[in-house]
Amino acid sequence: MKVLLRATFVIAGIALSACTSAERFNNDGTGGAGTGTASGIAGGAQDPTSPLFFQQSIGDRVLFEVDQSTLTPDSQFVLNGQADWLNSNPEYTAILEGHADEQGTREYNLALGARRANAVLGHLVSKGVSADRMRVISYGKERPLEICSDETCYSKNRRAVTVLSAAPSS
Amino acid sequence: MRKWIQCLTAFAILFAAPTLTMAQEREGPLRIEITEGVIEPLPYAIPDMVAETAQSEDLARQISRVIAADLSGTGLFREIPRNAHIARVTNFSSPVQFADWKAINAQALITGGVSVDGSGRLVVRFRLHDVFAGEDIGDGLQLVGTTDGWRRIAHKVADQVYSRLTGEDPYFDSRVVFVAETGPKNARQKQIGIMDYDGENVVYLTGSNSIVLAPRFSPSGNNLLYTSFESGFPKIYLLNIGNLSQQELRTPQGEMSFSPRFGPDGQTVVYSLTSGGNTDLYALNIANGQGQRLTAAPSIETAPSFSPDGSRIVFESDRSGSPQLYIMSSKGGDAQRISFGQGRYGTPVWSPRGDLIAFTKQSKGRFHIGVMRTDGSEERLLTASFLDEGPTWSPNGRVIMFTRETQGAGGRAALHSVDITGRNLRQVPTNTGASDPSWSPLLQ
Amino acid sequence: MNAGQIISGTAHVGLLAAAIFGGAFKAEPLPFEVTEVTAISSEEFALLVAPDQEPDALANIDTPEPQEAGQTPDVPVSVEETPPETAQPEVNEATQPAPLPEVEELGPPPQAEVSDEAPVLQPPEEDFAVLLPETSPQPAPQAAPRVAPQPIAQPEPDVRIDDVDQKASEPDEQAEQSEPETEETAQEEASDRIVTEAEKLEAAAPERSVRPKTRPTRAAEAPETQTAQESQTDDDSVQAALQQALGANDGPADSKPSGPPLTAGEKDGLRVAVQRCWNVGSLSSDALATTVIVSVSMAEDGKPVTSTIKLLDSSGGSGSSVKQAFDAARRAIIRCGSKGFDLPIEKYAAWREIEMTFNPERMRIK
Repeated sequence: MKVLLRATFVIAGIALSACTSAERFNNDGTGGAGTGTASGIAGGAQDPTSPLFFQQSIGDRVLFEVDQSTLTPDSQFVLNGQADWLNSNPEYTAILEGHADEQGTREYNLALGARRANAVLGHLVSKGVSADRMRVISYGKERPLEICSDETCYSKNRRAVTVLSAAPSS
Repeated sequence: MRKWIQCLTAFAILFAAPTLTMAQEREGPLRIEITEGVIEPLPYAIPDMVAETAQSEDLARQISRVIAADLSGTGLFREIPRNAHIARVTNFSSPVQFADWKAINAQALITGGVSVDGSGRLVVRFRLHDVFAGEDIGDGLQLVGTTDGWRRIAHKVADQVYSRLTGEDPYFDSRVVFVAETGPKNARQKQIGIMDYDGENVVYLTGSNSIVLAPRFSPSGNNLLYTSFESGFPKIYLLNIGNLSQQELRTPQGEMSFSPRFGPDGQTVVYSLTSGGNTDLYALNIANGQGQRLTAAPSIETAPSFSPDGSRIVFESDRSGSPQLYIMSSKGGDAQRISFGQGRYGTPVWSPRGDLIAFTKQSKGRFHIGVMRTDGSEERLLTASFLDEGPTWSPNGRVIMFTRETQGAGGRAALHSVDITGRNLRQVPTNTGASDPSWSPLLQ
Repeated sequence: MNAGQIISGTAHVGLLAAAIFGGAFKAEPLPFEVTEVTAISSEEFALLVAPDQEPDALANIDTPEPQEAGQTPDVPVSVEETPPETAQPEVNEATQPAPLPEVEELGPPPQAEVSDEAPVLQPPEEDFAVLLPETSPQPAPQAAPRVAPQPIAQPEPDVRIDDVDQKASEPDEQAEQSEPETEETAQEEASDRIVTEAEKLEAAAPERSVRPKTRPTRAAEAPETQTAQESQTDDDSVQAALQQALGANDGPADSKPSGPPLTAGEKDGLRVAVQRCWNVGSLSSDALATTVIVSVSMAEDGKPVTSTIKLLDSSGGSGSSVKQAFDAARRAIIRCGSKGFDLPIEKYAAWREIEMTFNPERMRIK
């Protein structure tokens, strides 16, 4: 009886231990379809199909220079990852939010945010993501992330964020 | 000999006459030209209005205080405090003792009487006197209204005094619509409020569930246009101030619409529409729903403002690479740039007098509110701070109200006003943070 | 006729000819404006502008029902005119105050005038400004609530502010005639231009050259007016001489001794005295574009006779802006003249009638 109990514990321990190792999954998000689903808590950060994974591992945002809406090479790298993920997970739609820092007038910043979000849209579309899965919105300077008034905060506010939502059909 | 004497006499007369005449000429009026003067607030006195019926004492005092606050608040007048008054006005009909008012250096004197008549109506009478000339300025007037509306009557009296002394059109009997703000910078709650121009009588017109921006009055003062995120996306709405009914404006297909403004006909609306990431100006007739595209440039076009006669629109565009001000016909077409200084220009607003355009300017890390002529000349900056933006004009085109936000995590927005000469910069008192003001026309 | 008489006669005729026709060789007299003016009284003036100002009497409007939230409390405002009831004091003897004192007799008796105004502190650059290069950074203009032609330093805190500087007079017990004590007064602190917030901050870090201060061109002005007057009198004198010679005689014989005309310094003193009280701060921009010419008769003590202040002419404005400009000019004359202007009594005939032109062009945007 004791042996059986111990064996159960050992087997359970081995099974659980498999959950902790994350090195199996590549960080560039190029995991093939369905390869890791069995080994992690579904929907967690380790689940490459989860939005959390999208946010934390791939990166759901790109930053911009002052007054600019052009994509830097770093941004393009992140967006490539986003495009791959979206292509692999067709059941999700996305809202692309554009933001600006407080160093501008209110309505112009609304338009600038829209430009940034649209730049992201253009890039994702060029990587094969269907345009009707995405909508563009701008918050201008209304929703800053960081609220100190200098460049360390401003740079974080000049952003475009890709917000996922599950499409109703899935 | 006689001929000699004749000659001499003739000579004498000849030479004497001019001298005599010259002396007479010098008795013509002395002429001098005054070209320099002083600019200082005009000292005035307003003893408490006489309460002519039993219940009107408080009202009389409050009305006098509001009139004084209006006049002194312009920065053009300085009140001689009541404890310095020598004479007392106890009867509105008695002759004024000008000597007593001259002695305290009051140049203008306002006397009045307040009563509540049998049917509960408020009756206010006043006279304005030029103390040193010893006579009245204009006629005495009587105004009748409700006791609830005593503030409006006080503003109307102050308006009369103000126009008679300055020659300007009045502006005190007016309201301001604005965005009331609460909460930290990264989670601001915003809702639309309306108040008297001096900050009193605030009423909120929308809830604070979603972001609202930049409300604007209609020419009649009865309706508002504003941008709201309540649908999830920025869209423009029309709100009737009287019954609070709200209506979304139908615009062509696009990601978002914002920055709406009325034209002087009260029916044409010009606004920005973003489509494919690009923002352009469009017009919409809210009576018949007809629309028109006004600009088609790959740059951002926003923050439009009509000229008072409706023929032209000034707006903000970054087609040159940075935001600048442009003027075009209200039908669209070619646009002329009018801003040429160092820096970025935005939020242009055409003065109701048609002579100036107010704007926000950013340069060297500071924000300024400024004015320029409609051809871009004579640019003058009136303010400078960390963040000033969004000017609006008083109904008489003499005062500008705008938003000033302070720096840092604890930063807060507040409304300020300034005279177009740049003098008299002061804060408009509001209970909450406040931004995006829009000044109504003079109330009738 | 002998030779002497011929020569004399020719010389006389020649002199006459030179006097009459010599004008052809003189330089053109400086042009002076001849404006058609009709003097009108204040009442007529009020009538002229009244139609612009009188609002129509509105009918009483019924009070509306209580409004919902957000509605403006729609105040029905009935505006009616009441004739000013400052009527004759037959009514209300109980509330009748003491008879109005004569307005003109306020103030200390003329002969007890205290010392002249203390000289105003002038910044040294006043005289040399023309030589300084325009781009020299000048000290940041201080903002003061009052703007006057010369910047005036802040007076001592406990000194009463008045339009002139006066030293406090100490009661002199040995004096036969006691002078009325006048307290020390000082002119109110003033800056010479309006300083906006934007300019204040710019001055801290001057990026562009500060606009040079405007200054009254006193030196240029005085000789101009003098020559104008002199040539004017020369012309007139020739004409008058002709008239006299032809027998026409219409000059009124005035008994007052006339003496020489006022010097430039005396005229300037009057001008400076009036401009100190000419407050254009509350004038509209329309009124600031209006020039008015005001005439006033002076009493022998140097005080203006208030009832004689009339508008002679105006230009650049119309209707109410003219009225505002005239009111401001009138107040300036009355206020600064209330203690009498400093004018020489022996030249009274020269300044008994004065025409002042108030031109606000330089005050428009300071």
